Amino acid sequence: MSLSSTSSKLLSLLPQPLLTSLIAAHSRGLLVLPALTIASLSCVPYLSNSLALKLILWISFAICALSLDVVWGRAGIFSFGQTALFGLGGYAYAFVAINVFPLTNETISALLVAGLIGGISAAFLGYFLFYSRLNDVYLSIVTLAVTLILKTVLSSTSGPDFHVGEAYLGGFNGMPSIPGIALPAVFGGHGELGLKPLLTFSVLLISALYFAIARMLEGRLGVIFDGIRSNELRMELLGFDVRRRKLFAFVLGGGIAGIGGGLFAAWGTFINPAIFSLTQAATLVVWVMVGGRGSLLGALIGVVVVQATADAADAIVTEQTPLIVGALLVGMVVAFPAGLVPNLRRLLGLKAQGHRLPRQTADFLEGHRRSAPGKLEVAGLAKRFGGASVLNEVTGAFGDEPVSAIIGPNGAGKSTLFKLLVGHISPDKGRVFLNGKDVSNLPTFERCRRGLGIKMQSPCIFADLTVGQNLELARYGSLNPRPVRYCLDLIELGHLVSTTAGTLSHGQQQWLEIGMLLVQNPTVILLDEPGAGMGDDDKRRTLDLIHRLSTNHTVIVVEHDMALIRALRCPVILLYAGVIFKSGGFDELVTDDEVIDIYLGRRRRVAA
Amino acid sequence: MSTIPVILISVASSIATLFIISCGLAIIFGLMRVVNMAHGEFMMIGALTTTALVLRCGFPLWLAILASSCVGAVAGALLEILLVRKIYQRQPLETLLVTFGVSLMMFQVAVDIVGVAPAGIPPPLGSLHVAGYAFPAYSVVLVGAAATILIGLLLIFQSTRYGLLARATAENPEMAQALGVAAHRINMLTFALGCSLSSLGGGLLAPFVSVGPSMGQAYVGQAFMTVVAGGPAFLFGTLWSAVLLGGVSSILAQIFTNLWGITSLFLVAVVLLRFKPLGLSGSWRRNV
Repeated sequence: MSLSSTSSKLLSLLPQPLLTSLIAAHSRGLLVLPALTIASLSCVPYLSNSLALKLILWISFAICALSLDVVWGRAGIFSFGQTALFGLGGYAYAFVAINVFPLTNETISALLVAGLIGGISAAFLGYFLFYSRLNDVYLSIVTLAVTLILKTVLSSTSGPDFHVGEAYLGGFNGMPSIPGIALPAVFGGHGELGLKPLLTFSVLLISALYFAIARMLEGRLGVIFDGIRSNELRMELLGFDVRRRKLFAFVLGGGIAGIGGGLFAAWGTFINPAIFSLTQAATLVVWVMVGGRGSLLGALIGVVVVQATADAADAIVTEQTPLIVGALLVGMVVAFPAGLVPNLRRLLGLKAQGHRLPRQTADFLEGHRRSAPGKLEVAGLAKRFGGASVLNEVTGAFGDEPVSAIIGPNGAGKSTLFKLLVGHISPDKGRVFLNGKDVSNLPTFERCRRGLGIKMQSPCIFADLTVGQNLELARYGSLNPRPVRYCLDLIELGHLVSTTAGTLSHGQQQWLEIGMLLVQNPTVILLDEPGAGMGDDDKRRTLDLIHRLSTNHTVIVVEHDMALIRALRCPVILLYAGVIFKSGGFDELVTDDEVIDIYLGRRRRVAA
Repeated sequence: MSTIPVILISVASSIATLFIISCGLAIIFGLMRVVNMAHGEFMMIGALTTTALVLRCGFPLWLAILASSCVGAVAGALLEILLVRKIYQRQPLETLLVTFGVSLMMFQVAVDIVGVAPAGIPPPLGSLHVAGYAFPAYSVVLVGAAATILIGLLLIFQSTRYGLLARATAENPEMAQALGVAAHRINMLTFALGCSLSSLGGGLLAPFVSVGPSMGQAYVGQAFMTVVAGGPAFLFGTLWSAVLLGGVSSILAQIFTNLWGITSLFLVAVVLLRFKPLGLSGSWRRNV
């Protein structure tokens, strides 16, 4: 009898309200997993012992693959260290199980400690990685080095000196006679689980982990991870502490990998430093690559496909695992970088799972918590690069007027001033005040949290997320957000809400970025060349947006384009040679002889 | 205090070894920004070729080492043409994965050819005696070799036409091409040069360390950490980072055990990167 006919029969027996709630659960993707779990559990008694043994091993691998998928596939951190955390989990399980099992007759505590050790090790390693702001390749190299070091260290721990209680590390030979999984007596456990019960336990374990991860990543956390993977800079400009979020993803992955390692050690009742080998690290990457990054299901499929292939190949040419894994790795990256599941999805015409915009309720109304216009001041700001003094004691205040503009010829120090205001570089001298508070030493994301909205010159958006997700991320990052729907209407991109942002036109991307600022509801908005690369129509619409922004926010525009400045009809500050050279109305400035000299490059008359 | 000269010699030899291990990678990863995870396997090619030539064909050691660097250059050029060339424009992560796959394949092929633990060659030149302590004379050769490689590379990259073109192409291939440089040929040459240095390093170390297919894995981590900690100035940065990391690890290895030495190398590098994320030469003005 097929599964679907069974389930439809079952469904017809259910009362109506339960049926409705089941359908609701199904539409949220909550039914597939329990169904799969029950189906696979019902198969357990019919499997041969050798297959059951193999499946438990694969499940422990799959847990590790899941963890890499969270860390790499979702949060975009490529780490070779996942296999090290898996191995550390295995060793932790071995220590605790060997010492505790004779006393308590259970090893679930050991499995929990394995997860804990995985998480703690990840926290320790992650602190150095993320707070050093190591970028992708450097990060993978450091994690690889750590993995190799662990292998070296653990290989040289033979001899009676290296032990924890009754557990001897055993150096290169590893630790034998590790107790298997044993449930506590409260749960009806009596001694180590046999093969089939262990398989049942493993299936339940991975289902529970899968379910927990999927639920965690379903909502806000998943979108935040997607944002970090897509555009770290924008995440920071939205006020997220990217380092902390990455550390969280890494610790989460470490915990999961640790549990997987524990199961692995329990499966073989043995662990040795080979778990930290490069082949193992590569195999883990291949599982996730083959399945498809970012798809949890893909990680599981990857393990099955790769391990089955490797086993089949092993039957033909023995002991060539590194060759096969290596060839698979090269082939996958060159031919199918996206992996199997995303390609299958495309073949079957299924769309990738998207996040729906949360339904907006009453707060659609305009006038939602109107933010008071903010103030941005700089005092004696100076910056040198090597021998060149780029900014020289700039002092000024923005905020008395709704819009003000900073102009200046090339090399005047505009970009440097902008970077100092944003916090991408720190000043040699002087201070920056946002709404009266000194923010000179705060990192960018802290300034953004305190009400600074920043739009970079070239569009800085999440190119592989939808317009709606972009705006939603902005909402998550703000302490005082506006409704997404309202801002979407204001930037007139409502019809494109589920379009991938990377496919928008240049102008639309710029507006989307302004829309993200609107959602954040900052007090001061900094716009770096908002009209750059736009046609006349687009510029007009941007101008219109800036005027609308200025009714609720203090807007500062750094611009080149004189036509746009004129149309803004706002006070202008002219930066020249690192100082504020002139300020006043636009018409005042363009008729000023000295200003004309600067722009036409007649230096002699300026000096005179 | 008679131990001081011995410690100095041992520190100098560790620094030289670390530089010899890393210089090939300094060019491929430091200059070209190609994440070559097969670096260690190119060292292995050099070491295995050297031992085979000495043991099977009766080559003198120095000739075998030079020949092994030529083998490395040819293998590197082949790898560049067949695979690496196609992925310059890809994300660094994909390059890393591809070369990682290649390194695993090279490892297995080497095992299939020479077995897990092939015979090695004894260190030549016997030992020197300083202040009553004996140390291998070959370590002086290593220091000399490291200095020669450094000077040679400086001359190539600072004073030759090829060196300038190679640096320009690595920095901005489109611009170099716009100026009429055959970027693909320059890249192939530079990649081959890096690989030949890796093999040369493997050949130089062959009499000194245990040679086998898995030796690459023992060095690739150290080499990467040295180059990464060195930062953007690919030659002098790598040199100073070898001095720092090699010095610290060698001193700790003598006070405690070898294990402490190797662990401290990584720890120092990781802590250094925590406080200088761009590496030692991050704030320097020179870029060679």
